[in-house]
Amino acid sequence: MSIHHFNIKVATPQRTIVAIDDFPLYDNHITFLFGESGIGKSLLSKALYGLLDTSDLTVTVNDKPYCDHLNSRWACDIRNNSFFVFQEPSSHLNPLMKISEQLNEGSLENIDDTEIMEYLWQHSTDSTLNTIREVYPKPYRPSGGEKQRILIAMAFKKLTAFMENRDADASSFFVFDEPTGSLDNRYRNLFLNLLFSKFCKRQFSAVIITHDYSIISEIYNSYRNLVPFVHFKELSRIDECKVSVDDFSADDYLNWLNKSQWTDPPVSQTADNRVLEVAPEFSIFSRNLCIYKDEARTVKAPLIINKGSVVYLKAPSGIGKTTLAKIVMGIYKSDSFKMNLCGRSYNEKSHESLWHKEIWGKKAGMVFQHADESLNLQATVKETFDALKERMTVDLNTQLNLLFKQNIIDLIINKKVAYLSGGQKQRLNLLRTFALNTQLLILDEPLNGLDFVNVKKVLDLLNKLRLGGTALLMISHNEEIFETLIDKNNIFYLSEK
Amino acid sequence: MKTGNNSFLSSVFFEKDKRWLFIWVTALCTVGIWDVLFLNKPALGKVVTGFVNTFVIAALVVSFTLLIGWGLTIALHFLSRKKNKTGYIILTFFLNILRSIPQIVGVLFTYIAIAALITSGKATSGILIFPIMAVCMSLFIVNELVDLMRDRIDHFMKLDFYNAMRVCGIKESRIINFDILWKNSRIHIFNKLIAVFGSAIFLQCSVDFIISVGLSSEVNAVTLPVTLGSLLAKIDSKQDILAIGNTLTNPMYFPNLFFSHLLGVTVAFLIVFSLVCIYHISNGYAERHRL
Amino acid sequence: MIFITLLLAAFIAVIRTVNVHQEEHIGSKVKQFLDIPVTNADDRFQRALLEDAMDIFYPDQTEKNDTIVQEILSIKDDQFNEQLQKSHEKRRLSFKAFIEISLMYVKFLVIYIIVMLLTYYGVQTIASWRFIREKYAEHTHIHFPDKSLKHKITFSKSVKSFIKTLFYLVFFSPAYVIAYSIRTEFNTDSVFFMIFLAVVSNGLLITYTNKFRAFLISESRKGYIDTARVKNLNEQFTISDKGITPGALLSPVKNFKGHLFNHIFKNAHFQYLSTLKEQASFLITGLIIIEMALNIHGYLNYEMLRQILYKNYELVVLIAAYIFYTVKFTEIFTDYLMYREMKKYENR
Repeated sequence: MSIHHFNIKVATPQRTIVAIDDFPLYDNHITFLFGESGIGKSLLSKALYGLLDTSDLTVTVNDKPYCDHLNSRWACDIRNNSFFVFQEPSSHLNPLMKISEQLNEGSLENIDDTEIMEYLWQHSTDSTLNTIREVYPKPYRPSGGEKQRILIAMAFKKLTAFMENRDADASSFFVFDEPTGSLDNRYRNLFLNLLFSKFCKRQFSAVIITHDYSIISEIYNSYRNLVPFVHFKELSRIDECKVSVDDFSADDYLNWLNKSQWTDPPVSQTADNRVLEVAPEFSIFSRNLCIYKDEARTVKAPLIINKGSVVYLKAPSGIGKTTLAKIVMGIYKSDSFKMNLCGRSYNEKSHESLWHKEIWGKKAGMVFQHADESLNLQATVKETFDALKERMTVDLNTQLNLLFKQNIIDLIINKKVAYLSGGQKQRLNLLRTFALNTQLLILDEPLNGLDFVNVKKVLDLLNKLRLGGTALLMISHNEEIFETLIDKNNIFYLSEK
Repeated sequence: MKTGNNSFLSSVFFEKDKRWLFIWVTALCTVGIWDVLFLNKPALGKVVTGFVNTFVIAALVVSFTLLIGWGLTIALHFLSRKKNKTGYIILTFFLNILRSIPQIVGVLFTYIAIAALITSGKATSGILIFPIMAVCMSLFIVNELVDLMRDRIDHFMKLDFYNAMRVCGIKESRIINFDILWKNSRIHIFNKLIAVFGSAIFLQCSVDFIISVGLSSEVNAVTLPVTLGSLLAKIDSKQDILAIGNTLTNPMYFPNLFFSHLLGVTVAFLIVFSLVCIYHISNGYAERHRL
Repeated sequence: MIFITLLLAAFIAVIRTVNVHQEEHIGSKVKQFLDIPVTNADDRFQRALLEDAMDIFYPDQTEKNDTIVQEILSIKDDQFNEQLQKSHEKRRLSFKAFIEISLMYVKFLVIYIIVMLLTYYGVQTIASWRFIREKYAEHTHIHFPDKSLKHKITFSKSVKSFIKTLFYLVFFSPAYVIAYSIRTEFNTDSVFFMIFLAVVSNGLLITYTNKFRAFLISESRKGYIDTARVKNLNEQFTISDKGITPGALLSPVKNFKGHLFNHIFKNAHFQYLSTLKEQASFLITGLIIIEMALNIHGYLNYEMLRQILYKNYELVVLIAAYIFYTVKFTEIFTDYLMYREMKKYENR
């Protein structure tokens, strides 16, 4: 096994953004790279691939100027042979070009993608695939998951071309940055299957950046024979800008998972204990949706969350889990909807002012999916909580101590939110809502951007809140984790009628 | 590559907006010194008065545009959220009318009206005329600022940012005024105000020139303050400007521009060079903040 | 638009009524006295003589006599001024006047459309050319820093900067400065010169070129450009057969298929469409300034200035209406263009 070692530093004139002494790249192996969001995984990968814009950045690779790395044989080879699947599919497709044009330009031009597309769209109808090719990518159509699969399809087209390359020594460096972020487990497994089947035909070097720890279980369950060719690594912080790549113990994760379980405290099912009840059927944007108790979607049931209990709402990507959360919080006006929150009824005719007076910051709180969009990036950490001073029951330092170490708090308290890492932003996003001490907490992808250590901390904190009587509604694509933690009776399924 | 040195001089050299501000101030000082040495006193007095008046009015335009623009933006936002949209429709209609009138025409008509009021004795000419002229000009420029601020509000309302703060119980007025407009948009607003400053100078000089050339029997420097535009329209300045054209075919005449034709050349230079510098400052600022 | 048209028509009716009343008012009160030979209204002796004469002929109405004397003197003053301005004429909105002004409006419209098309083409071409040059310099700086001149101060760079500043001074000059500068050497009253001035001066071309360039830069930083790069699209930012061909750059309908710039340009162009309204408004302002400031006879806006001077407000309102319609029709056209594009890209 040959390993390339890279010493990389990325800096602006004012500060170093990220520096690593040894970034190992395993030749013809697949590396899964975990780590907190914003720590530098994408940046380091882009630096190696040769994608960084150095008009404002200084980049050195192996203590040499970036131009030397870009002009090196290895870098030229990988740019010809490889592909980079970027993190946010919405912004990585040109909204003014049809999908078919984007799938067939440049080095992808003469490569047939029918097989790949049919494989990745196998759970959809034929007409969906044909329609997808002829549309322009817009916010809701194709969906986030579909856009992600389009980018993955591009990567596999390039991979197909690489496999037909007769040069046995050709270098490769395929990077998949959060390729399963918008995919549910069904499509995630399709991706892994395709990846490993190609790998079996011809080995290539790949780095998969992900926060989806459940991939580990899937690999150990379905691809055990390929485990010697797979590496689990974690990028962790040494100081403010320096990071290092360490081994991530798959066993640690699997053992932790096996031991984790939340049990609901014994509470009576009386109306007094009921925090939220949502009628099973509702409609919005001319779509009729329904909540089911079973995975087969045969038994309709109201969504009920009692004090101190946690409910997990499952549905494929794009169905409407976040939409339901926003209806409960009064952000969206539905066509028909009924709910009872803390003893008061609300429906589609209720005025927004009722939520403002009675619910927001008082009875219910919501953690939104993307910390980058939910927080005011230009405010400091302290200013983020300033507007909530009246409602906070503890002081700011105590609140931050729930998820941050004191030395980190001292560093970040007066720092602009924009300068925090993704994981720090997500923790701040959570703490802002927790500070309100509401009876109901709706959490949309609460583990986004967190490394394993902070995943455990957040789950512990959520457990404490739950044991303290807070009702939790969980929306997350980390199915494996929440299906293990949460009782099956508290799992609901959302689907179109 | 940029160096890590953050000293004042290096920031002036490397940051385009600061560099052009420095160049502008230096050029103004140089022109000032040259005029003191070579321009006669009465003419120098006129140039200084015209320069000061022009820039004071432009600065007032910027202030009023900001105040009126911010007020209109907030009014439009909250009126649009009400059930009864009458107020919103009326205000939007009024703003659309202003938008449809070319700025020069609008400013011209209002200046003529102001001059007529002064002539008929219903308004006094004096220091109060400056804010009145500035308000009139602001009305025809304010739409640009209102559009920018509304775009910024709409952008953030589409993100989870707005909803996330609302569901925390934070007041909407605080979210709009402080979080969106002040914290996240003040750089954009400031950049727009630099452009407004440039527009104000351009419009003022153009309107004053037009009025002085075309309507001098009705409106003159007695009624409206002297500005660079009205100075340029004077016979003396026009002769000086014509001399520039003469230099194209007679290059040996070039040095005379800086001595015999100093009044007109100075006024023209002040207008044109200021517009160029404001343009570069605005661009540099936008590039520096990646707007 | 209908509302404004009705409003303006009402304005004209009101002005006409006010004028008629004024004439009648003058007629009824002082008409009989207008033949009195007062040669100089400012002469105190003549004024006093007239007041005494009125008091003799019409005793017991001293105040009324004073009012009549003031009116007579005011009318005499106006008549005197009218005589000075030889070409002055009191004009109403007659059919003849309407046709004359309409013809001027057609001329204005033709010039406006030509200038708009020239700036539309010029903005995109110049901005694209600048962007390609800058990208090439950046590419050289990244890949071959020894050869790059990016941060080097050389004599030729300084000379280029100086010449660039001179060009900026010309492009930012208000039209009247340029026109008066070269009036003795060139005929500044011709249509071609007007079109040239409208395109080059008042900062129109340079402002919107810079805006378009800013759109290009902002689009070049977006995520889909990275995706295009990893598809190995042509990234040679040179104006040559290997990079971007001169034909593609100079073509009125630009297409850079197979090149990374195609992605950038398409998106920047889409954003640029939404600024056309603003550009049109800026252009109309520029044309108005040019026509008014240069006093070119037979042009719409100079005619407006003249009619303001002569207080023929009916004609002023008509011209203002024509300018308003130009702005409005441009807005409608731009909205239609945007609607068509949005419909396509939103898969409707």
